[in-house]
Amino acid sequence: MKDELAKRLVQSLKDAGINFVTYLPETRLSQIVPLIRDDPDMELIAVANESEAITIAAGATLGGKQAAVYMENTGIYTACYPLVTVGKQLGVPLLLVIAYLGGVPDWRNSFLYATIGKHSVPVLDGVGIDHTLLEDGDKLEIKVKDAVRAANSLRGPYALLFAGEFSE
Amino acid sequence: MIRYECLQLLAEKMTDQLVVTSQSGQRIEWSHLSRHEGNLLVGMMGCAIGVATGLALALPHRKVIALDSDGSVLLSLFNLATLGNLRPKNLVVYVFDNGVYSGSRISYPTATSGNTDLAAMAQGAGIKNAQTIRDFEEFKKSGVAALSKNELSFFVCKVEESLLHREIPRPNTDLAENKYTFVRYLERTEEKVIPFIGRG
Repeated sequence: MKDELAKRLVQSLKDAGINFVTYLPETRLSQIVPLIRDDPDMELIAVANESEAITIAAGATLGGKQAAVYMENTGIYTACYPLVTVGKQLGVPLLLVIAYLGGVPDWRNSFLYATIGKHSVPVLDGVGIDHTLLEDGDKLEIKVKDAVRAANSLRGPYALLFAGEFSE
Repeated sequence: MIRYECLQLLAEKMTDQLVVTSQSGQRIEWSHLSRHEGNLLVGMMGCAIGVATGLALALPHRKVIALDSDGSVLLSLFNLATLGNLRPKNLVVYVFDNGVYSGSRISYPTATSGNTDLAAMAQGAGIKNAQTIRDFEEFKKSGVAALSKNELSFFVCKVEESLLHREIPRPNTDLAENKYTFVRYLERTEEKVIPFIGRG
């Protein structure tokens, strides 16, 4: 991802009200980590597993933060249990910022990632998490804001899948 | 040591603390002992410490308490490493360790009834004040004192297996209802608006 796109993504999160981010880094979107870390209006929390990325972000949301979780799409598989129980069953809004490795629009797709990518959307659909695919910066700010509004309105997780130019 | 007696003691000490419970017998016992609006009865195993950590980070001036079980902590051991690095000063974790999966109805043993020492694991993960409490006198001393300390505390409370939670009534609140009561309580006491809550 080009630096300019990373800056726009972080600014979009901020403009959408995100002020608390849990994360496990990966290869496609990791330029956003130092930008969030250096922003005084955003709290960045490193975790050891995507499951707790979900539960910690959910706790922060209940405490009044507008939280996002940044992770690789492999994290969807790891975090399915808290996504369903805390995210869906308890009904806690969360923005999921997901690097879509191995999806068809992933510019760095290979045999290493293709299977991971193939099942990500069916799993999200299976657990009832709505999602939007972003392949370029067109209307990025609006799409992020729409996703946060959808998460709050639905009272549950909403996923943004990043590929295309974001996987450059 | 009997879990219900420990919870009874804690319930007497509650003022404006936020209490997050995982799914196990103590969730039922706690809801029976405390009707406080600051109770969040998370109905899933392995999620309470994470949710409590998020609350503690979001509200660093409020004391947050997690009531958890050995089975739950074993399900989410990664929490220990994360807590050991974050060290939220306003969080106290009580793990009621009865050494069995009581909910399984056959009381199948957990790893802590074998060779696993959760307090040692927590210390190794970076939680400085992690200790095992083996009797009620020690719980009254160290366990209760942690409520007024400004330090992350992690107590593994060795308790006898008790089936009392099967005899007392389950909480008569829906998960969502409990969540809204909890969040409205926070809105009142924190004098702030929680963004996702509907306002007609």
